[in-house]
Amino acid sequence: MRRRAGLGAIQKQKLEQEKYKDKSNEIQENQFEQMSKQLEFFKTNLEEFASKHKNEIKKNPEFRRQFQEMCASIGVDPLSSGKGFWSVLGIGDFYYELAVQIVEVCLATNDKNGGLISLEELRTRLINARGQRKEHQEISKDDLLRAAQKLKIFGSGFNVIPYGKGKFMVQSVPGELSMDHSAILTQASASNRAYVSVNFLRKELSWETERSQNALENLVNQGLAWVDLQEPTHEKLYYFPSLFNECISA
Amino acid sequence: MSETEIEWPWQYNFPPFFTLQPHAETRAKQVQAWKSLILDYCKKCKLYLIDVREASNIPLFNNSGINRKLEQTVIVSILSELQKTGHAAPIDKPKNRWEIYWHTLEEWSSMIYDYVSNRGLQGSVLTLYELSQGDDVKDEEFYEMQQEVLIKVLQTLEKDRKCELILSDDDQGVKFF
Repeated sequence: MRRRAGLGAIQKQKLEQEKYKDKSNEIQENQFEQMSKQLEFFKTNLEEFASKHKNEIKKNPEFRRQFQEMCASIGVDPLSSGKGFWSVLGIGDFYYELAVQIVEVCLATNDKNGGLISLEELRTRLINARGQRKEHQEISKDDLLRAAQKLKIFGSGFNVIPYGKGKFMVQSVPGELSMDHSAILTQASASNRAYVSVNFLRKELSWETERSQNALENLVNQGLAWVDLQEPTHEKLYYFPSLFNECISA
Repeated sequence: MSETEIEWPWQYNFPPFFTLQPHAETRAKQVQAWKSLILDYCKKCKLYLIDVREASNIPLFNNSGINRKLEQTVIVSILSELQKTGHAAPIDKPKNRWEIYWHTLEEWSSMIYDYVSNRGLQGSVLTLYELSQGDDVKDEEFYEMQQEVLIKVLQTLEKDRKCELILSDDDQGVKFF
């Protein structure tokens, strides 16, 4: 026979529930405390590590990359924290300095390439402009990309555009470059001639005439491509100074 | 001076440089580059006169290496730009023949007057031949200056009352003050 729930039973149940609750609170607090301790411990370690290897981080591009990855994995961005420990350490300064130098190179070459420069050319010019000391010279593409990404916060003025395999262009003038534009740059760079045409894009990418024309004319109107009308086949060619060898080395 | 000694800018081997660009900003850069290239080239080759109709005979306007030429109408429009700053002037109505002044007439005239003053030649008469072809001026920048241009330069000096041209049929000279 089923026992009817008496007042005593209910009270007992309530009491048990409260005890459970207390216990769970206690456990949670413990865990939280432990986690905080661990995180604090980890942060201290990371900071210790960073300050201990500060010079190494500044000098060695490979080390720098790994350190950045380590920070990223626990959600710390040494570049975005302008205050406190990380700024004292000067890791951010390294990238800020690079970013300023990137801007300088972009402005200096803007006149000839229309504001589009390959990461390779950017690196060559930037390294030439830096001091001769080894640590000034060892700037990796990874460093440049990180610094250039930071420049994006200034709005549409700065942009990093991937093209081809593992290749990047840095755009330093306002303007939108689409996937199509990036595909065109990839073709122009792969052909090693620094130019493409509507026919060329039809052959390589199976693009309709209109699609190619729109994208190409848009690049002309952004000042990034030059038109050549003297090809013996009378085909209109679109040239990119930013990919033209003599322009790059000029 | 042979062409091999000319240091061409990168644009010279960039095929679209020889096609007038449709985009205004790019075109401005292109025209600017052409202006300096023309003046540099004329300076190095001591070229004082360009006949637009025969421009394709000059490597400056015809890069046979990449098979690109600058059209005559484009040449005229660039020369007209140079005219605005006193660096070129057409000497015929149809604007076919152009004098090129890699130094403006004013710059030339002060250069010549400086030379005259430094040598204490004020008051003496020099023949135009002496002034442009003589041994004494061999190291001067105006050495071998074309006579038509030289006369124009001296005429600017004349306006400032710094010289007087004597231009009779067989005697062409100048007296400096």
